[in-house]
Amino acid sequence: MDQHEHHSRLFKVGGAQVSRFEDMRLITGNGKYSSDWNAPGQLHACFLRSDRAHARIVSINFDKVGQIKGVVGVYTGADAQAAGYLRPPSFLPPTGKGGMKARVPERPCLAIGKVRFVGDPVAMVIAETHLAALDACDLIDVVYEDLPAVVDPEEALKPGAPQLHDDVPGNCPVEAESGVEAPVMEAIAKAAHVTKITVDCTRVTASPMEPRAALIEYTADTDSYVVHTPSQGVNMTRKQFATYANLGEDKFRVEIQDVGGGFGQRSTVYPEYVSMMMAAKALQRPIKWVSTRTESFLTDTHGRANLITATLALDKNAQFTGLRIDWITDQGAYLSPTGPAGHIRNATSCMNGVYNIPALYGHFKVVLTNTGWVAAYRGAGRPDIAYAIERVVDAAALELNMDPADLRRRNYLALSDYPYKSATGSTIEIADLPGLSAKALALADWSGFEARKAASARKGKLRGIGMSAVIEPTGAGSYPRDEIDISVDGEGQVTVHTVAHSQGQGHETSFAMVVAEALGIATERVKIRQGDADRAPHMVGNHTGGSRSMVGAGTVCHIAANKLIDAGKSLAAEDLGVEPSQVSYGKGEFTSAHSKKKITLAQLAAKKTLAAKGEGTFISTFPNGCHIAEVEIDPETGITEIASYLSVDDCGHVVSHTIVEGQMHGAVVQGLGQVFGEHIVYDKESGQMLTGTFMDYIMPRAGKLKSIQMEEYTTLSKLGPLGIKGMGGSGCTASLPALVNAVVNALGVRHLDMPLTPSKVWKTIQQTNVKH
Amino acid sequence: MAKVELKINGKQHSFDVEDRTLLVNLIRDHAQLTGTHVGCDTSQCGACTIHMNGMAVKSCTVLAGQANGADITTIEGMAKDGKLHPVQQAFTECHALQCGFCTPGMIMAVSGFLKDNPKPTDDEIYHGLEGNLCRCTGYINIVKAVKQAAKAMSK
Amino acid sequence: MHTFSYVKAGSIKEAGDLLAANSDAKLLAGGMTLIPTLKARLAQPSHLIDIGGLPELSGIDAKDGKLTIGAATRHVEVSRSAVVKKAIPALAYLASQIGDPQVRNRGTIGGSLANNDPAADYPSAALSLNATIVTNKREIAADDYFQGLFSTALDAGEMIVKIVFPVPAKAAYEKFPHPASGYAMAGAFVSQSGKDVRVAITGAGPGVFRWKDAEAALGKKLAAASVEGLSVDAADLNEDMHGTKEYRANLAKVMTKRAVAKLAAPAAAAKSKGK
Repeated sequence: MDQHEHHSRLFKVGGAQVSRFEDMRLITGNGKYSSDWNAPGQLHACFLRSDRAHARIVSINFDKVGQIKGVVGVYTGADAQAAGYLRPPSFLPPTGKGGMKARVPERPCLAIGKVRFVGDPVAMVIAETHLAALDACDLIDVVYEDLPAVVDPEEALKPGAPQLHDDVPGNCPVEAESGVEAPVMEAIAKAAHVTKITVDCTRVTASPMEPRAALIEYTADTDSYVVHTPSQGVNMTRKQFATYANLGEDKFRVEIQDVGGGFGQRSTVYPEYVSMMMAAKALQRPIKWVSTRTESFLTDTHGRANLITATLALDKNAQFTGLRIDWITDQGAYLSPTGPAGHIRNATSCMNGVYNIPALYGHFKVVLTNTGWVAAYRGAGRPDIAYAIERVVDAAALELNMDPADLRRRNYLALSDYPYKSATGSTIEIADLPGLSAKALALADWSGFEARKAASARKGKLRGIGMSAVIEPTGAGSYPRDEIDISVDGEGQVTVHTVAHSQGQGHETSFAMVVAEALGIATERVKIRQGDADRAPHMVGNHTGGSRSMVGAGTVCHIAANKLIDAGKSLAAEDLGVEPSQVSYGKGEFTSAHSKKKITLAQLAAKKTLAAKGEGTFISTFPNGCHIAEVEIDPETGITEIASYLSVDDCGHVVSHTIVEGQMHGAVVQGLGQVFGEHIVYDKESGQMLTGTFMDYIMPRAGKLKSIQMEEYTTLSKLGPLGIKGMGGSGCTASLPALVNAVVNALGVRHLDMPLTPSKVWKTIQQTNVKH
Repeated sequence: MAKVELKINGKQHSFDVEDRTLLVNLIRDHAQLTGTHVGCDTSQCGACTIHMNGMAVKSCTVLAGQANGADITTIEGMAKDGKLHPVQQAFTECHALQCGFCTPGMIMAVSGFLKDNPKPTDDEIYHGLEGNLCRCTGYINIVKAVKQAAKAMSK
Repeated sequence: MHTFSYVKAGSIKEAGDLLAANSDAKLLAGGMTLIPTLKARLAQPSHLIDIGGLPELSGIDAKDGKLTIGAATRHVEVSRSAVVKKAIPALAYLASQIGDPQVRNRGTIGGSLANNDPAADYPSAALSLNATIVTNKREIAADDYFQGLFSTALDAGEMIVKIVFPVPAKAAYEKFPHPASGYAMAGAFVSQSGKDVRVAITGAGPGVFRWKDAEAALGKKLAAASVEGLSVDAADLNEDMHGTKEYRANLAKVMTKRAVAKLAAPAAAAKSKGK
C-alpha cells in the first residue's frame, strides 16, 4: 500500500467535531481581546510619532500640553535612556559570512536623538482619557533637522547612501551565506542552460483584524508588571519584555485570552509596550493604549520585503545542476527579534525546494532602510524562497520551450531519495512529489488546458495556468522542549495546560481532540488552557508560530495523555487489588481482568491526585504540496479572476480536517492578497508611506477566490508519534508562485513582479501588444 | 457634553458623553459591551457593525449624538433565550471564524443583508460582504455560512 | 477627532441659521465621508449641524417627467425605491453600487453631491442627466454645479434640499471599483433623452466631467462601436500608484462602452451584480 493511503481518519472522536469549543464565546461577543481589558484607575497613552522618514531631533517642547485637562505626563527618549530600555532582543546569530560580526542597532523605546522612519515614536503622552492624550500630542513641538532618507534596499547598500545608524556602516547589519559557492559557480559555468531571474517578494503587512493594544499594570510590592497584549505565546512575550527592559522574566506576568490574528506580527514585544512600563511604574497606575489602524500600518512589523535573484543551472537533459540565490532582505529602520534570522534560516532550510539540486549557494544581505521594521509573516522566508525557486523553474521551462510540469517531473526528488540531505546542510524528512503532483495534474486536467484557454479566448479573455510544487520546514522551536501539563478532577473533567497560544488556530478544539482520542473519552470532557498566567512561568514550551503548534504542543498532548494513563494505572492498581501491570485502560476506565473490578478516571481522581506532565523535543517536519491555479484576465481592464484553484497537500497526519482546511483557505488567500494587491509602498523622495489605510492597501475581499478544491496526499512524519507535519503557512507558500505563474502564463511574459494589479496587468498587455 | 438616550439590546440607557464620542465608543466604553470591535479608522473593515433601528451600520462612523433615541442591537443581543441566531449558528457550524475578531461585525452585517435579501446568489453574498474584512478564513467558509443561514432562516 | 459641538437641527431654516451664524460649522447628514475625515483630524469644524433626520429633506417622488429625491435620502432607499426603479433604473443601480451595505444604510445623496468627491458615483448621474440641485436659496443646474475637486457652486451657508432629475429615455451606469476603497477608478453614466446623449465620467479625473466626443458620436449612433475610435484625453486625469492617467482614460472608455451596451440590452442591466 502506498504511504499516502495510510491517512485514514485515525481521529474517530474528532471526526464528529464540527463547531470549535472557542466559537461559542466568539460568536456571542464574549471573547476577550487585548483592548477589552481594563483596570480600575487606568490612564491612557498616546504616541507622538515622527512625521518624517529621517531626521535629527533638535528639541522637543511639551510646555503646552498642560492646556489639556487630564494630562498626567509626557515621556521622551530621555526617559528611555534613563530607564535603559534601548535594545529589543534579536535572534540573529552573532556572526555571518566569513565570521563577520552582526551589528544589531539599538532601538530605544522612544527615539533618542534621531527618527528613522515615519511612525517612529518620539513622545508618549499619558492622560486620564484617550481623547485628552490625543489632543495633547498635537501640542508637542518637535524641531527636526531633516536628513536624506533611503527607502529602497538596493539604494541603501550603495556607497554614499544615507546612514541610519552610526554603528551599522553601509546600512548592512550582516551578510550571511549558506551552502558552498564554488560548486555552484562551476555548475553555472558548465551548464547547457542558465536561467536567471530577479523577483521582488514585496513588502506587505499582516493586518490581523485586531489592532495592537496593551494594558500594563505595575505592582510595587514585587516591582513587577502585569501585561495584557496580543501575543503568540506568553512565555516568549515574557522573555522579550525581560530582554528589552533588562529585567528578569519573573518580573512579567502576561494575562491574555483571545488574540485576533497573529501571522508572525504578534511575535514581537513592541517599543510602545516597554514605554508604557515607564509610566505605569512612575505613576503607579495601569496604562492602556490601543493602536489605530494607521499606526498599525506604520509601526506593526511588516512582512517579506525580499529582493531575490535566482540563478539556475541546467544540463543538456534539463536536469538542475546548481542553484545560486542572492537575497537582499530589507529589514526597515531597526531589526525586529524574528526578522532577519527567520528569513535566512527558513530560506536555507529548503533552498533546493522539492528538487534534486546537487549544488546550492545562498548569499544574504541584511539591509536597513528608512521604513517600518520587518518580522516573520506567515511563512517567514519559506514563501519567499519557494516563490523564487518556482518562478525560476517556470522561466527556465519557458526559455527551453518545455511544459513546466515536465521540467519539474524530471527534477523531483523521489520518495526513495528521502530523508534527503541538502547541499545547504538540511535534512528533509519525507515527501513524494512525483506521486503528489501527478495527482494534482490529473485532478486539474493540466493536459486539457488548451481547450479551456480557447473557450476563454472566445469570450475575449486571456486564460493562464500555473503550478507550484513546494516544501517548507515547520515545527522546530527555539525552546529546548514543549511541555504539557494534564490533570483530571473528581468530575472526570480533564484539564490540559499549554504555553502555545492560539491566534485563531483553534487549540482549544484540536488539542482537546488529541487528548480525547488518547484517553478514549468525549472531547467535551477536555478543557485546554493556554498560557495560564500562574502556571506558564513554570512550564517550558514554544509560542505558536512557524506552523509549529500541532507538531510540538499538540503531539505532546498525546504523550501527556499516555503518561496520565500510566500514572493512573499505578494509582488504580491499589483500588483494583492488582499489580499496575495487570491494569488495563480504555474509554475512561481502568479495569483489571484479574480482579474483575474497574474504576473510572473521575472516581480515581476523586480519591487521588491524577496528573502528569508530558514533554517532547521536535525538529522540523516538511509539509509539501502542489497547487494549480487557472486565471482569466479581462484585457480591457486588466482585472484577473481566479477561474479555478486546486491544492493537493501533504500535511502528514491531520487531526481536524475542518481546522486544517480553514487554515489552508486563509493562507491561500493571504498569498492571493500579496499577488493581486497588497503592497506597502513608501514614496521614494519623502519616505512617506502611501498605503497607510485600507483605502489604499488592497486587502482580499469575499469573492476574489470563490472556491478551492482541496485534496490530500499524505506521507506520515516519523519524527513524532502522530505523524503530523505543521501546515498553517503552507497555503501561502504554494499560492504565491502558483498564482503568479498562472498570470505570467496568461500574459505570455517571462516575469511580472507583484502586485499584479489591474493597472499593471493592463499596462503589460498594452506593451506586449506593441511588441507583436 | 451631549446627553444620549438610547436602547441597546432592549435595555434603555442614558449617557453623558463628549460631543465627539463615536457610537462604538459609547457601546464599548460606556455600555461596556465589548463584543463590538474596532479594526480600522476609515470605515472599511466592518468589525464595528451593529444594527441601528434594524439596519446594519458601522458604529465607528456614527456619532453617539446621531444615535440619540435609536434602537441598537449588538452582537450580545443576537442570541435570544439562550438560542443562537441562525447566522451565529451557521458561523460555528461552517467554521466561518478563526480568530473571531471580525466575527461579530460579520454576523451583524450578514443578518442585516439577509433581512433584505433572504435568498442571495453567490454574487449577491460577495456584494453583501463588501463592507467587512476578514484576515483568517479567506471568506470561503463565511460565504458557506451565509448560505446555510439563509436556508435555515427561510424554513 | 478634535472637539466640536454637535447640534441637531429641527428644520431647514434652523440649520441654515446655524450655518450662517457659525462660519466654521459643517452640515452632517450620513457622515460617511465627514466622520472619517474628522477621525483623521483633517478637519476642525466648530459645530456639526445634524440634518440627517429632517423630514423636509426626505422623500422620493416622480411626476411630469421628473424624479425628485430629498437630499437626506439614503443610498439604500434610492437603490430599493420602486419609484426610482421605474423612472430611472440606472440611478437605483448606481446607488446599489456605492460603498458597501453599511455605508449605503447611512450615506445620503445630498451629502455625496455636496462633498463632490472626484471618485463618488452620484455626480456622474447628476451631470449626465443635468439634474437640478435645489438648495435652501436657489436652483443650480448640474452643468454649473460641479467645479472640480471637492468643489461645487454651493455658497457658504447654502445647503442642498433636493435633487430633481429629468427622466431620460434610457440611462446606464458602469463603474470599475478601486480594488481597495471600492470608489470608482472610473465610472460612466450614459443617458439618452430625445436625440441628446450625455456621458459623464467620474473617478478618472479631478472631478466629474462630460466626455463630449463620445456624446457626439453616440448621438449619431447609440452603439458601443461608436466610441471605439475615440479616446479620453489623459492629460488632465488622475494618476497614482493604483493607475496611470492612460489606464484611467482607458477605463473611462471601457466603462462607457459597457454602459452603452447595457442601454442597448436593458434585460442585461437588471441582471447586474447585487441588488
